[in-house]
Amino acid sequence: MIKVDKSLCLGCMSCSNVCPSQNITRSESSEKRIIHWKRCKEECDLCVEFCPARALTLVPFDENVPEPDVSFDLVACRICGSRYATEPMLRRIEFVLPLNLQKDSTNLEWIRICPNCRRDIEAENVTKQIVMERGKKSR
Amino acid sequence: MPVYIDISRCIGCRSCEVACQRVHGGKGHVNVHYVGDAASVPIFCHHCEEANCTKVCFTAALHKEGERTAYDVKKCTGCGLCRLACPFGVVWTDKIAHKCDLCDGREGGPTCIVTCPANALSTDFDLASKRARSRAARAAAQGGRR
Repeated sequence: MIKVDKSLCLGCMSCSNVCPSQNITRSESSEKRIIHWKRCKEECDLCVEFCPARALTLVPFDENVPEPDVSFDLVACRICGSRYATEPMLRRIEFVLPLNLQKDSTNLEWIRICPNCRRDIEAENVTKQIVMERGKKSR
Repeated sequence: MPVYIDISRCIGCRSCEVACQRVHGGKGHVNVHYVGDAASVPIFCHHCEEANCTKVCFTAALHKEGERTAYDVKKCTGCGLCRLACPFGVVWTDKIAHKCDLCDGREGGPTCIVTCPANALSTDFDLASKRARSRAARAAAQGGRR
């Protein structure tokens, strides 16, 4: 069965996706994501191998150990308020990406903005460019 | 060879969205956004040279193949990190990641380009300025601009 180091878990969707026996379940409400590991007897370590945070280890089966679960409050987008990611996942992105890529040319911390709003911002930026070009032509 | 947009030509018809969905089994990678009544802008993958999505992908499912930011479905675990690492919001994950693959293997190239009725999309970065130059040349040949 699987032991979880809760301090390392990112709350991503890797293990629940790769488990061939659906022993790892993910339930998501608008504000929370809960990942639950059923006590499993499989001799399989796919989830261990594919955990980006190395938070999982395979341990001998023990029916006295309670089934672990981890709960994450989802982070709200700074623009629209929709909840789109877990805090550890965003921290991981901030850890991996070089600092100069974490803010755009307007100093916006885009990592803290949901993908929907990121597309809106990109559309607005492109539009500003063509409006400026039109302005130049008409002069 | 990413797809470039000549925004001044886009008429906001969403044909590119539909074409993309048709080619990719219902999961499209183009979103047409409307900015007030000023413009419509199809938003899709830039195939960044230094692609954030490839940097956070821990199984190397997302990787660079020349200019293309490609992904290997077999390696993807659907963790969702790439979706959060894309500054433009153009990587999606449902079970596995999906994004613009420039219609890899499709005869005739990316379907959005072929479908666009306004010829707003192309793989030629300079197309908009080439068009402007040829308009100017035509106008000069005809004795000035009307």
